[in-house]
Amino acid sequence: MRRGIVSTITIVSVLAGILWISGLAMTIQDQFFSTAMPPADTTKYTKEKKADSREIYIVALGDSLTRGTGDESGKGYVGYMVDQLRKKTTKPIRVTNLAIKGQRSDGLLKQLGQTEIQRQLKLANIVVMTIGGNDLFQGGEALRLTPKQIEQAKDSYLRNLDRIFQTIRRVNKDAVVFYIGLYNPFSDLGDAKKTSAIVRQWNFASAETAARYPNIIAVPTFDLFALHVNDYLYSDHFHPNKDGYKRIGERVASLITFTEGDKK
Amino acid sequence: MSNLVYNEMLKIVRKKRLWVIVAIVAVLVALFTYAQYKRVQEMQERLGTTDWRTQLQQQIIDAQNRLNSSSISDEWRKYLQIRLKQQQYYLEHDINPSAPGAPTFMRMFIENAIDLFLPLLVMVVAADLVSSEASGGTIKLLLTRPVKRGAVLLSKYIALLLSISFILLTVAFLSYFISGAVFGYEGWRLPLLTGFVAQGEELNTANVHMLPQWKYVLIELGLAWFVCIVVGTLTFMLSVLVRSTAAVMGIMLAALISGAILSNMVSSWHSAKYLFMVNLRLTDYISGTAPPIEGMTLGFSMTVLAVWGLAALAISFIVFTKRDIY
Repeated sequence: MRRGIVSTITIVSVLAGILWISGLAMTIQDQFFSTAMPPADTTKYTKEKKADSREIYIVALGDSLTRGTGDESGKGYVGYMVDQLRKKTTKPIRVTNLAIKGQRSDGLLKQLGQTEIQRQLKLANIVVMTIGGNDLFQGGEALRLTPKQIEQAKDSYLRNLDRIFQTIRRVNKDAVVFYIGLYNPFSDLGDAKKTSAIVRQWNFASAETAARYPNIIAVPTFDLFALHVNDYLYSDHFHPNKDGYKRIGERVASLITFTEGDKK
Repeated sequence: MSNLVYNEMLKIVRKKRLWVIVAIVAVLVALFTYAQYKRVQEMQERLGTTDWRTQLQQQIIDAQNRLNSSSISDEWRKYLQIRLKQQQYYLEHDINPSAPGAPTFMRMFIENAIDLFLPLLVMVVAADLVSSEASGGTIKLLLTRPVKRGAVLLSKYIALLLSISFILLTVAFLSYFISGAVFGYEGWRLPLLTGFVAQGEELNTANVHMLPQWKYVLIELGLAWFVCIVVGTLTFMLSVLVRSTAAVMGIMLAALISGAILSNMVSSWHSAKYLFMVNLRLTDYISGTAPPIEGMTLGFSMTVLAVWGLAALAISFIVFTKRDIY
């Protein structure tokens, strides 16, 4: 009996050993002597059907604002917006947040060039986005730029924004895009007059760009933060806090209606 | 000779070590299967979709966000960057690197077990092969028989090799069948990419080629076997040198654990790459993760390990045949 077990284990072990040695040989052959055969570069996505028509698919693009930096619950305005939308509709809502902290307009433009991002975008019914905050306030140390530099930053930003909208429209003709404007986080500081003017002009130019495309709506937030700005800002004095995000979220949600029933 | 080997196998089997190992593996695999299952479920719940592309894209975005925060160590940044580029590559080529299934689980299990868990299992068998004979006094009985000392030691070593093969078979078998009950047994033909080379923060994809998963798993098992043999040989040498089994275990454990710790902090200490314990993660070269020290390659690591193994083997034979037994 015992002899049987020991012999079996020994034989099994020998066979296993041969198997592992062949694995090792395969490793050496594959890793050291094989020629590279990169997979075909063409991505052949199977034709995606438009997501379930009963489902509302929201894609969020942009920077830290869309990510929700500063909101301790991590929801950001996207989360609060969805909360509001859930009250309005019984359809399932699905969100994909593709925002990257610190992203600028050129980064977003590059991101939109990726196949998978485009695929997500194609499936979307609603797109919400924030961009430009990092172009204007270079990482929170804001507006130390001279008027000329700001003018330059604005020009290149507007060019990028135009191409961003163009890309979105090309990929997805129907989705409603909500472009969320900037607020002035420094409106309680000494040179508020100057900074506010800059932000206003920035927003105006962005809204003009948005207006060139169908179904891209510029949503202002400037007014939301005009009074008592500190109540709505996070401790970094730059990003909104929970209450700030809630207000943005509610504002965007108020623009989304489901009356037609076949809302795309 | 075959009788000697049989005799040694008999000892190993009679000590019931192998059954203990089988039980440990079974319990751990079940545990990890459950953990993995939970993770997949949570991921689906969070994203509201089972579409792997969305999930992978979300992981990429998460990594990008982490990269943008200022309080992140250089090593971690490098690791994230490499992984990010790799995920991007998978996405661009429409290949799902983690399609659920038992073979995928097997692959991940081996990748995570290769530097600590598998060597520990090997140690359980190897640590007392010789030292127990010395401490128990049976070594005298063994050596008074009309066989050369070298042959006695060789038979023990062969028995060790056989046990290692058996242990790996157990791991492969159990991880396949237990996880398959949850994830399904499919997925052997899934294409995977290998040949990524991490160069600093860049990912070189010039050598990338596709492998079916069965081949990938077999390659990883082969590497795991190689690692286990080297660790087994080192333990075997200690077992010859040190009489107390506990001391052998202690030394080996210290070496292995220090290897796991060192891998995370040696990036600036270049000569550390000649230590065997930072070279154990051979599977990382197949999947394309950045090595702990720049300049390490699969060939390099295998050579280092082979040199350590051969040296250990030579030392054990020399010491064992020359030593006075009293």
